[in-house]
Amino acid sequence: MDLHGMAPHSESGKLEQVVSQFLLKSLHIILDSRIPSLHPRDPTCDSRVRKSDKWFNLVLGDRPAALDNLNFWHRNLMDPMIIDIILVQQGTAISTSVGNLLSGSPGRTATETVIERWLVQFESPPRGIASQPSEGSAASYKKTYKKSIIFLRSLYLQTRLLPAYRIFKQLSSSSQPFNFDIIYKVSSFSEPFSRVEEEMMKEYRFVPIEALPGRLHVSVTYRPQLSEFNLQPLTTMPPKIISDYVGSPATDPLRYFPSSYKGDRAISFPSKVMHSPTSVPFQRPHSWTSGFHKPVVNHHLAGSPTVYRTSQMSYDSPSPPMERIQNHRRPLHQRAPFYDECQLSPPFSPSVSPSTPTYLRNSESPRQTRASSETAPVTIPSPISGRSSRYISPNFSDPSKLSLPPLSPRSTRLDNSSNESPSGMRLIKKPEASRADLGSAGQKVLKDNKDDSGRFSGLLSSRSSSKLSFQDDIDDCDFSCPFDVDDVDPPDSRISQNVDWKRNLESTSMGRKSQDAAVGVLVHMLRTAPPLRQDSSCYSSRSLRAEVENDGVATTASGFFMPRRTSDALEELRSYREMKDLLLSKSGTRVLTREPP
Amino acid sequence: MNCEVCQLKELEVEHFEIREVLRCILHTIVFHRALGLVRPKVIDLELFDITYVQCGDGELEKKIDEKIEQFISWVEKHPNKKSQVCISFYEVKNKHPSWFTNKTERLYWEQWYINLNVSQQQKVHSGKSHPSKIVVDPGGSTVDSAENSLEERSNRRAALESSLREVLFQIIKFVNEKKDHVPPISDGVVYFPYEITIPSSSDSAFGMDMIKRMLQTGHPTMLS
Repeated sequence: MDLHGMAPHSESGKLEQVVSQFLLKSLHIILDSRIPSLHPRDPTCDSRVRKSDKWFNLVLGDRPAALDNLNFWHRNLMDPMIIDIILVQQGTAISTSVGNLLSGSPGRTATETVIERWLVQFESPPRGIASQPSEGSAASYKKTYKKSIIFLRSLYLQTRLLPAYRIFKQLSSSSQPFNFDIIYKVSSFSEPFSRVEEEMMKEYRFVPIEALPGRLHVSVTYRPQLSEFNLQPLTTMPPKIISDYVGSPATDPLRYFPSSYKGDRAISFPSKVMHSPTSVPFQRPHSWTSGFHKPVVNHHLAGSPTVYRTSQMSYDSPSPPMERIQNHRRPLHQRAPFYDECQLSPPFSPSVSPSTPTYLRNSESPRQTRASSETAPVTIPSPISGRSSRYISPNFSDPSKLSLPPLSPRSTRLDNSSNESPSGMRLIKKPEASRADLGSAGQKVLKDNKDDSGRFSGLLSSRSSSKLSFQDDIDDCDFSCPFDVDDVDPPDSRISQNVDWKRNLESTSMGRKSQDAAVGVLVHMLRTAPPLRQDSSCYSSRSLRAEVENDGVATTASGFFMPRRTSDALEELRSYREMKDLLLSKSGTRVLTREPP
Repeated sequence: MNCEVCQLKELEVEHFEIREVLRCILHTIVFHRALGLVRPKVIDLELFDITYVQCGDGELEKKIDEKIEQFISWVEKHPNKKSQVCISFYEVKNKHPSWFTNKTERLYWEQWYINLNVSQQQKVHSGKSHPSKIVVDPGGSTVDSAENSLEERSNRRAALESSLREVLFQIIKFVNEKKDHVPPISDGVVYFPYEITIPSSSDSAFGMDMIKRMLQTGHPTMLS
């Protein structure tokens, strides 16, 4: 038998080490089979055997960092270790709790139920009873160790036979969100169950393990039936037929479409807010959480100073698996050893974040209004913020973040589309068609400046000055490019305009004053550029639309398919790339937020 | 050394359930007796909503599967019979060399008896009406008998799942109650030497194997 890492030389020291490792291993086994975030995704991939794995000859993989900070049990082995496995379930009862206000979903509360309570304790004999003679103690810790090995194997199996394992499997095997979550709490004290709760629970006591002079007791009180909880995946939004998709013949080509990287799914963190509304210290999400602790009597988490949870729930709308928030408190060794109100700080986190729950606010439902914009990169004018919210991607859960110019996501999308299709080339070939799409603001400028070289600079200045009006145009859901003009150069000067356009574009990209103007230009170009290839089937619809928008200006389909040289095309491509890079650099933040988790 | 014996609860299984049930029970027992360094492997049964744990040893898995296949072959030749599968753990002791024998001796210190009652259920003939189940409404008799059979089958399956779960709890209880007889763990050894015994082609031979084992361990009776 190999007892690894037994630094203390005395027998009692070795026993103490065995007992403390036993506690850690038990906790690891229990949490590994209850908390999805702590469970290794693919344990078979990792073939390393860590030092902690060698204890009791049971390879479990990485210990959660929380376990490494379990100092208070190391300090006093006599303290019981109580592990509560708590089922957090999204409810539908109307409540006026603070959590509802902050969750943005009135009428939704979360109920928490302790579905399992594990008790692991090293009991020493009462005082006055003579302890085991020392000649037997040499082998006693070895016997204890061997018996612990056997016991921990049965514990490993037992955790997988109890009903709670079934819901753990549901959570960990599926990527879709559920209306429930499992959190845990580790403490040395817990509020006893009420009579009603006791009647609903069963108890299983393992045979105590001799650990002379004391014994190791492990027991579990669990709910034998979990069917009373309506545990199910969150209902996803019904399939919706989107008739006005980008590229649809029936769609106004200049209509603004909200950029939504993941459709209509929101990524928000209302659950955290609901349960820790005000003064909850928080940190950015991590992939694991530590124990949740609160006064056991109060199953509502509102007002709890600390929340440790792993959440895959979305309380508001279907969303991808939530990112987790980890709240930290001071490690336990800085607090009183016995904290009767169960506000023991799980010594699971290395640091404390005293910052305000700004992150939580930012991650809340878009329906919530924000008073402060301390996390918003840009403040938006009030007329825009409320109305443009519906055009903003649900990913931008903070309305203050709606300050980003509405065109940016659209232009980015269009930029992508330009990369995918040669539609961007059409801008060069049919400037008059694009001009027909321009809005009145740009029209005014274009009228004043018929010189092609100065056109886009004029557009930029007009764009910056007419920003509000432009945004108003967005809100009207019927966006017409502010640079729409009707009285522009006739079609026969198209070729020269193409070259001039390119030159202007380059100067524009260098001396841009308003991002909006550049975006507008890009939109205009991409929508009206002729294709590289002469493919009449692809662009006949667009050409027809352009014809309509040109107020009857006769534009034949053949006009789109003028012969072009490769060098022209390459030059255009280069210019597009420059524009794209410039836009990306300017709206770098937004692009990042649109990336999938 | 004591030889502890555990008689597990009898399970009524159908032919197609034997493999899963035996795998589950045998691996669970061996997992509790694999006291060397193991990386547990969690397996979900397909026929039942039960999860069990294996040692993660490929060779062990292969040997157990071979024995299960042999048992299934035996069952096919002896249908509708109660049977036992025995898994024994032993220590190898070198006997004193003598004139007559020079071989090692196996000292069995633990035995587990898995009791199975393999039944061959009648298949549901959806297209035919069972003569004994002709009811007043001839049009629905076939459907009724089919539904009854399906209901019986699902009840039986649920009962078997519950019994299998009880067997696993029984194993957990046994391994925790009796630990003193377990030999010391040798370095580098993952699990104790074991032997899986299935009924042989004749029942009498199976009985002889049991008597042999009894004589080796020196206990008057093995079955309790």
